[in-house]
Amino acid sequence: MSIDFAARMQVLKASDIREILKITQNRDIISFAGGLPAPELFPIEPLADLAARILREQGTIALQYSPSEGFPPLRKKIADRMNSVWKTSLAPDEILITTGSQQGLDLTGKLFLDEGDAILCESPSYLGAIMSFNAFGPRWVEVPTDDDGMQIGAVEEALRTDARVKFIYTIPSFQNPSGRTWSMERRRELVRLAGRYGVPIIEDNPYGELCFDGETPGMMQAMDEKGLVISLGTFSKIFCPGLRVAWIAAKREIISKYVILKQGADLHSSTFDQMLTDAYLATHDLDQDLVAKRRVYKERRNAMVRALEREVPPGVTFTRPRGGLFLWVVMPREIDARDLLHRCLERGVAFVPGATFFPFAEKKNTMRLNYSNMPIDRIEEGVRRLAAEMKAMMLDTAGVSVASHLTQPA
Amino acid sequence: MNIFLDKTGSSPLYRQIHNQIRDMILSGELPTGYRLPPERRLAESLGIARTTVINAYEELKSEGLVDARVGRGTVVSPLTRPIPDAEEGRSISWPHYFRDEGLRPPDPLVRNLLESASQPGVISFAIGLPSPTDLPLSLYEAASRAVLSEIGPLALLHAPTEGHMPFRETISRWLTKRGIICTPEEIIIVSGSQQGLHLSTRVFLNPGDTVVIEAPTYFGAMEAFRRAGARLLAIPADDDGMQVDILASLLRHHRPKLIYVQPSFQNPSGAVLSADRRQHLLRLAARYGIPILEDDTYAELRYEGAPLPSLKELDQAGLVMTLGTFSKILFPGLRLGWLAAPRQVIRQFALAKQIEDLHAGTPGQMVIERMIRNGDLDAHIATMRSVYRTQRDRMIAALDRHAVDGMTWHRPDGGFYVWCGLPRTVDRTRLNDRAAEERVSFLPSYPCFTDQPPVTHLRLNFSYPGIEQLEEGITRLTRAIRSSLTSREQVPERAQSATAPLV
Repeated sequence: MSIDFAARMQVLKASDIREILKITQNRDIISFAGGLPAPELFPIEPLADLAARILREQGTIALQYSPSEGFPPLRKKIADRMNSVWKTSLAPDEILITTGSQQGLDLTGKLFLDEGDAILCESPSYLGAIMSFNAFGPRWVEVPTDDDGMQIGAVEEALRTDARVKFIYTIPSFQNPSGRTWSMERRRELVRLAGRYGVPIIEDNPYGELCFDGETPGMMQAMDEKGLVISLGTFSKIFCPGLRVAWIAAKREIISKYVILKQGADLHSSTFDQMLTDAYLATHDLDQDLVAKRRVYKERRNAMVRALEREVPPGVTFTRPRGGLFLWVVMPREIDARDLLHRCLERGVAFVPGATFFPFAEKKNTMRLNYSNMPIDRIEEGVRRLAAEMKAMMLDTAGVSVASHLTQPA
Repeated sequence: MNIFLDKTGSSPLYRQIHNQIRDMILSGELPTGYRLPPERRLAESLGIARTTVINAYEELKSEGLVDARVGRGTVVSPLTRPIPDAEEGRSISWPHYFRDEGLRPPDPLVRNLLESASQPGVISFAIGLPSPTDLPLSLYEAASRAVLSEIGPLALLHAPTEGHMPFRETISRWLTKRGIICTPEEIIIVSGSQQGLHLSTRVFLNPGDTVVIEAPTYFGAMEAFRRAGARLLAIPADDDGMQVDILASLLRHHRPKLIYVQPSFQNPSGAVLSADRRQHLLRLAARYGIPILEDDTYAELRYEGAPLPSLKELDQAGLVMTLGTFSKILFPGLRLGWLAAPRQVIRQFALAKQIEDLHAGTPGQMVIERMIRNGDLDAHIATMRSVYRTQRDRMIAALDRHAVDGMTWHRPDGGFYVWCGLPRTVDRTRLNDRAAEERVSFLPSYPCFTDQPPVTHLRLNFSYPGIEQLEEGITRLTRAIRSSLTSREQVPERAQSATAPLV
């Protein structure tokens, strides 16, 4: 029979990334597509022991229902850790545990967005956020963004003229997909401006601790004296993604609203996975793990940047991120990264075309490359193949434009 | 623009009109520049006096939501945010930013139930948890060790949104044994059945759509449908489940989007939908093309008799979606459930789930997969059937011994609950106080009905309390009931019962 779905389902389409990730399940593919941490760094042995210990000592708690806000000791550890790493002043009850930070985004949409409300975002922005928020029918206002972050004049202009801006969404550190990082000054300016207008900032910070060069950039939440920053954090990039443990940090009055929605969405996140994360934090030094992660990712970033510098044809530019998992490539205007992807897949290389990262005004000549998931030799080989296809395509399109010029009637 | 007036309500008509239009403006339903209907026309169409509409419009004007000019009528103003006048600006006005859904006060029911269960000294019949002393922890530990050592780091990576494929395959085989024939592609893993309910609202319901439910029904489902803005069409249920012939007559005038039903050991009544009614329900759903969401939460927990085929098993038209969970038969804390449905439905659920939380936790899926494959789950279910049968019998025996005149109950063939009717002369407020003094808790019936009528029943759970607590708990409860009796029948007072605090 034909089934009558809700109208909102029409905006939900299978994403490019989803399709590409299916292809990259194939192990022979050199994948620059996903955003996965290096699995060889997962602490499997300690986790197996901790899992057994939790089951032995606290099994009845670990496998029972637990509070929607999250496992209390874990909320405290997250608050403490944020306060020490980011110099925030959060209390445990200002933390809500979510099932991955994707849920944090979804709950944010549910809490704030009615159809026609406006979101200020960077251009490009994170695909998972775009998809999540799109379910609520918002208007996207892409703010011109330079190497220091959103241009403050443009943000102010938008706030002044658009009464329905519900929040500013930003990934200020090692942004997905561009790899860009806001300057500290720009962050302060944004917090000041948002304070003047009384507008919330959603600070999405999954990569903040993965800084390879220089000092780890601070969080806007630490600069905020008015309680207008709501931040999203996750263990997916600094611990393991499969456990789906992430959090929202905000003032109590806001967290209490999120809790209502969380309860309706899934009651609470897996008690056992929360306790496992909590036990790991209690018995191991996550900072020590991060030293190793940063070292590995830095080597891989270096390898990718070097290979790109060596291989890509003139006219192609790319970012050199100070941290995180991604860099961003811009090609000449006539090259469509989707076409390039088809050619590259035949040669066993995958990446994500950049167009999906723009809520509108797609820039088709861009792509996102992940460097954290592949060993160095595969990175070098992958970039070689990618650059070769790029050159071939640029030659092809140059040929086409010459040919069409020649056959044009005089 | 649709306005619904409750002419019997206590709120003045102009206030009702004002509130509804204000909500439509703030929600964006009525955009800037939208012209409200002329006062006279709106008054005529609602069958009320023109001054009532004028008063409502005046109120909107005073709030700056609309602007009225001669010749232009009454027009929705741009939503304005005051421009900051000082560098300091103002403190953020959160209610301006939140949606109505976020502002609605939470239903404290679930939270209160969980809290009451953990009070020291309280015997709780209130919550629907599996027996805490019979969780198969060592089986879980063994399976978990095996998964981490055999699968290694991949157990900690992302899983597909639809779920870990071997898990879906194993569930499909496990369901097939029960007569529910479905392929792995016709299954999606959800983060608990609450998420399954929530996703179903996302996939199917536009605000204002109608959902058919049973009366009484599971309050969590009702809450999920309400939050989606659905209208609830409650069909009375008796000992044989939903009275499908009543639904049949209502379908002549209503076009529901979804039918939500728990055919086996319903929460809260424990009723089983009879074989005839199952067939009748399927015929109706097929004739009108309405999908059925079959909540199968308790189906495995049968203590008597032969199982009836599930709706999914009987379904010829491909319109049944069956929602299951591991919360009652294994562990609630893992938040794992499944939905079996036609592939085009699974696809929609996957799209919605992807933006909600990407996927359910990977290691948990792998561990439960193993426990099903190696037979641990079936063995555990068999054990628990006998444990729960004993506990049910103990509760029934205690009721037989201690009940107060006028109390009613049935021995349910399965599930977690005895649905216990109260004598008509019970003072409900007094009962709450007495039960608190006696340190016994229960779920009163009001949240299980759409209109939250006065309490006529108590839902008594027998799976969670220890076997040794059952008799003592019933003794306390019946003592509380006995001391709450009055000399005359209690006249229902709706307004009061709706706000009755929960024990």
